[in-house]
Parts: sequence; structure tokens; C-alpha cells
Amino acid sequence: MTKLLKQFAKVAVATLVVAGSANLALAADKEITFSGSGGVVGKVSKEVWWGPYTEATGTKINHVAAEAKRMPQLEAMVKSGNVLWDAMEVSASDYPLGVKKGLFEAIDYSLVDPDNQLPADTREEFGVAYAAYSQVLIVRTDKLPDGKKMESWADFWDVENFPGPRALRGRAEDNLEFALLADGVPAEDIYKVLSTEEGLDRAFAKLDEIKPHITTWWTSGAQSVQLLSDGEVYFCPSYNGRITTLVSSGIPAEIVWNGGAMHKSYIAIPKGTEHLKEATEYVKFRTTSADRMREYVTHLPYPGWAPGLFDGMDPKMAANMPTFPANQKVQFSASAEFWAENLDAIQERWTEWLLQ
Amino acid sequence: MNAKKKFTSTWLLWPALFMLVAFFLIPTLDILRASVYDPEFTTKHFAKLLGSNVYLDVLWRTIRLSVIVALICAVIAYPISYFIVQRPRKQQIFFLFLVFIPLWMSVLIRSYAWMVVLGREGMINALLIGLGFTDEPVKMLFTTGAVYVAMVQILLPIQIVTCYSAMTEIDLDLMRAARILGAKPWQAIRRVFLPLSLDGTVTGAIIVFMLSMGFFITPALVGGRKDIMMANLIEFQVQQLNWGFAAAISIVLLIGTVLCVIIIKRLSKILIRRLVGGGHA
Repeated sequence: MTKLLKQFAKVAVATLVVAGSANLALAADKEITFSGSGGVVGKVSKEVWWGPYTEATGTKINHVAAEAKRMPQLEAMVKSGNVLWDAMEVSASDYPLGVKKGLFEAIDYSLVDPDNQLPADTREEFGVAYAAYSQVLIVRTDKLPDGKKMESWADFWDVENFPGPRALRGRAEDNLEFALLADGVPAEDIYKVLSTEEGLDRAFAKLDEIKPHITTWWTSGAQSVQLLSDGEVYFCPSYNGRITTLVSSGIPAEIVWNGGAMHKSYIAIPKGTEHLKEATEYVKFRTTSADRMREYVTHLPYPGWAPGLFDGMDPKMAANMPTFPANQKVQFSASAEFWAENLDAIQERWTEWLLQ
Repeated sequence: MNAKKKFTSTWLLWPALFMLVAFFLIPTLDILRASVYDPEFTTKHFAKLLGSNVYLDVLWRTIRLSVIVALICAVIAYPISYFIVQRPRKQQIFFLFLVFIPLWMSVLIRSYAWMVVLGREGMINALLIGLGFTDEPVKMLFTTGAVYVAMVQILLPIQIVTCYSAMTEIDLDLMRAARILGAKPWQAIRRVFLPLSLDGTVTGAIIVFMLSMGFFITPALVGGRKDIMMANLIEFQVQQLNWGFAAAISIVLLIGTVLCVIIIKRLSKILIRRLVGGGHA
């Protein structure tokens, strides 16, 4: 019997030792889990950001391709205390939502941006803006009437001078802004006007005008590209980066920067992560490394605000960037705050309006 | 002996029962809870839902679309199933295989395929213009008609298989007996085969109906602006993290579906009784 016990004790000790050394191995081999876009963005990020990051810090990055439903997933994780992600991409519209629900750790700017070099409007309490993307009007130039050029939302609304099928995104966000711009509201007053009942009516009334000419209301960026490339529609707002797909497949298409809606994407740290230090290190790396970012935008036109980003950039490429001064000037900055506050009520009216 | 037999047969059901309780009943109850506790007891979600025209309007559209899809599927699948049942055994397997092939493709891909077929510059329009039937492309994509076409194509195999398996249960000698007793071929089908096979058709139609009630990708891709389904509204609310309201919409959708299924069953029973008894020729 005692023999058996001794045997048992030996096995137990051996197990403990093995388990202990496995723990040590894990500690030496640091790894953070990052939830970010899949597809091309994931592929390019691996090459441009994660590889060099591991080289610089020794921390590996385990990438989880983010689904459209990442906010519900995040909330479920934080609520259950089982946080699987250490850092994550957050869209401009999801950011206020996550803040309201308390799903993010506060950013320690003494570590991320100690010299205060990032623009003030990119430094949020619970996230750092790392990239900009715009919803801009994309025009099939081969379908334009001879000698004409579409230059604004007013032109998009002008079905007599610019005949042809059009599409819009099937959500109220950005569309109400576009309608007000088409109706002559100056860009800086859009949200002031939208905040009033009359302003909202005005936007919907303007949308009434274009409604019969809208072939379809797209729900994903991929769909908008498909619509333009199939010739299903000639004029359609989409994300600025999507133009590359069109042009590289030989479709003559052009961005109208004027009146575009610029959105910021944030990088944030889920509340309760076990790797806060490493995650903060990654946030710093992702938002302030100008040379990495310059290389990144040669693959994808989603630039951030790393100090010195445009120094030495090919001017032709710079002209394709939403944050390039000439482009940024003619766009408006989409207000995530406005939509966080009003989306529920407006969306109901929007759905009702679509069904009419 | 009898009791023992009974025990073994119920025992076989346990895994299925466990799955149903763990992965269906409990989550459903949890959704019901989420719709009225947020976090304290509240009826605000249901009040908002019933206080606005949008949600009931969309529920009605969803039901109407699902009923029509189920009806079209039933009508198309019936003769196909009848045809397959009449074949020799080996051919039956081959035809069923053909029916199953489209099921191996994802719904998303099949929906996109319909966009290629029905689009402005798509296959049908290219053909029509090429043959000189029309100069301007016909608008087929982004219409409610396109939703019917795509959803029927996607759900038809399910209807055929259910209908077929019900038909294989029918003893074809019964029809022969009816003929011997003086029934005309059409009467034999209507008074004997149709009532016996209708149960399977109704079961298939109910499955198709329930699946349609939850559809959202296909209508969003090929439908027009009015082809909004309840599932689209639920998806939107979940994305906004409005769990309570999303749960309330789900509960309304669930109740609507169950009520419709009960009505369909009732109606089909009346129909079968009429077919067997009434209509002396």
C-alpha cells in the first residue's frame, strides 16, 4: 500500500514539474491575441506590422479575423470574465458603444505617445485612432455623359444631367449627411442641422427625391464593388479603399473626394486583458511608426496619423489617401457621437421610410 | 417484456432530448428572459415594438413572403417527387442525387449566382438583348420576384426530399385497387394518392416556411428596398448591442411562426378531409 502511495506521489511530483516548466516556457514566449480585419488587411498587416513588431519586441501576435459581430462577442467576453483578445480594431461607430458599455481599458498615453505627437483628435480616452477610411462617391467614368464630370452630391442627385442607375448604402449613417450636402447645407453645419427635427425632415425630403432612382441599398462593401463592376449601377458611394479593386480589375472608376464622409478607426484594449503591457506596446507601435505606416499604405490606402507619414511619400500615392491634406479638406468628419446618440430613433424612421 | 421494450425505445431518445433542451429550449428561454429583463423586469421593448408600425409591418411582409415561397415550393416539388417515386430504385437514387447537388453550395454563393443571372448586364438580359427581344435591360434583380426565385431555388430540395420520402410510404397497390373498383385514373390520384401524400407535402411546406421566416441574406442581396425581413431587424439590433430589443423581436418572430404553423396544419387537415370525402364525380 505504502509502495503504491509512493508511486503515486512520484507521478504527482513529475506532473507538477512538467506543468511548471510549461508555464515557464509560456512566459518566455509572450503572445498577444489581436482581433482585426481578415482578408487583404489581415494579410498585409501580418507582413507590415506583426512580423516587425515581433522582431522589435519579442512578443508574438496571434491574429483572429474579426467578424461583423465583434462587439457582441466582446461584450460576451467581458461579461463572462473570459477575455480572449488583448487588442482589437474598433470602428468609429462601435467606439462610443464600447465606451458606453465599459468594454475597453483606458489608454496610458505616457507609454503610447509620451511626446504628444499624435493629433489631439486621434487621442481618445479608451482608444487611439490608427487609420482613416472614407465613404466616398465612386463613379464609373465610362458611363458618364460625354464631357461631363460628377463632382458633388448635388450631381449625384441630378438625374437629368447624370442619368443612370445608382445605389446607396442601406443604412441611415452618412446618407443623411450626403442628402444635406446635396441640398446645399455647408459641411460644417451638417450635424447642427441634423440635430433638429426640421433638419432631419429636410434630409429625408431630399432622400425622397433620389429614392426612385436607387437600384439597390447595399449592405456590405464587397457588394458595392460588385454592383459597380457588373454595371448594375454607375454611381455609388463606397469605401475609398475599394477603388483599388475596381481599377486593378480594369474597370474605369474614379473617387469624388468632395463631400466624402471620413471615419476614424480605433485600436483599443479589451477590459480585463491579461497582457495589458504588451497590448499597450502594440498600440504604440501600430499608431506611431511612420515608416511601417508608409509601407502599409503602399498596399492599402488606409493611412493613420503617425508623425512624418507624408514625408517622402510618392505624391501620386499621397493623392489617394483620405488624410492627404487636399482630400481631407473637401471631406467632412463623420460624427460617431451624433450617431451613437441618435441611431436608434433614426434607424426606425429610416426602415419605415424604406418600406414606404 | 413490454415494459422493457418501452424503456429501451425511450432511452434512444435521450441524446436528442438532451440536445434539444441544452441547445434549443434553454437558449430560447434565455431570449425570452432577455426580452423582459433589462436588467429589471420591463415591458419597454415590447411596448416599443408594438407601438411602432415598422416591426409589425415587417413581420407581415416576412409571413407573406414565407407563405408564398412555401406554396411555390410545394407546387413545384409535388410532380417532381411523384416522378421520382415512380422510377425504378436505382434511378430514384440518381435523381435524388441531382436534387441534392445544389444543397452543397452555400446560400450566400447561390444568392450571388442569382445576381449574375438576373442582373442588368447578366445572362438573361444579355440573351434577351442579343436575340433582339428588348433594347433596354429588363429589371429583374432587386425586385421581390427575384427574392421568390432565389429562395425557391434554395429551399426546393428540402421540399422535394420531404415530399418524396412521404410518397415512398404509400402502397401503390392502393391506386390499382381503386382502379379495379372502378375509379378513373384521375379519381384514383385525387381520392387515394393525393390525400395520402398531402401530409408529407404539408410537412415539407412547414419546414420551408419556417426556414424562410429566418432568411435574411438572400432578400438583402437580390431583393428591393421593401424586401426587409424580421431577421434583418434582429441582426441590426444585435450589432447595436440592443440585446433586449433584439430578443423581443425574436420572440415576436417565434410566436408569429408558431401561430402560422398551427394555422397551416389546421387548414391542411380540412383540405385532406375534403379531398377524401367530398366532390363526388
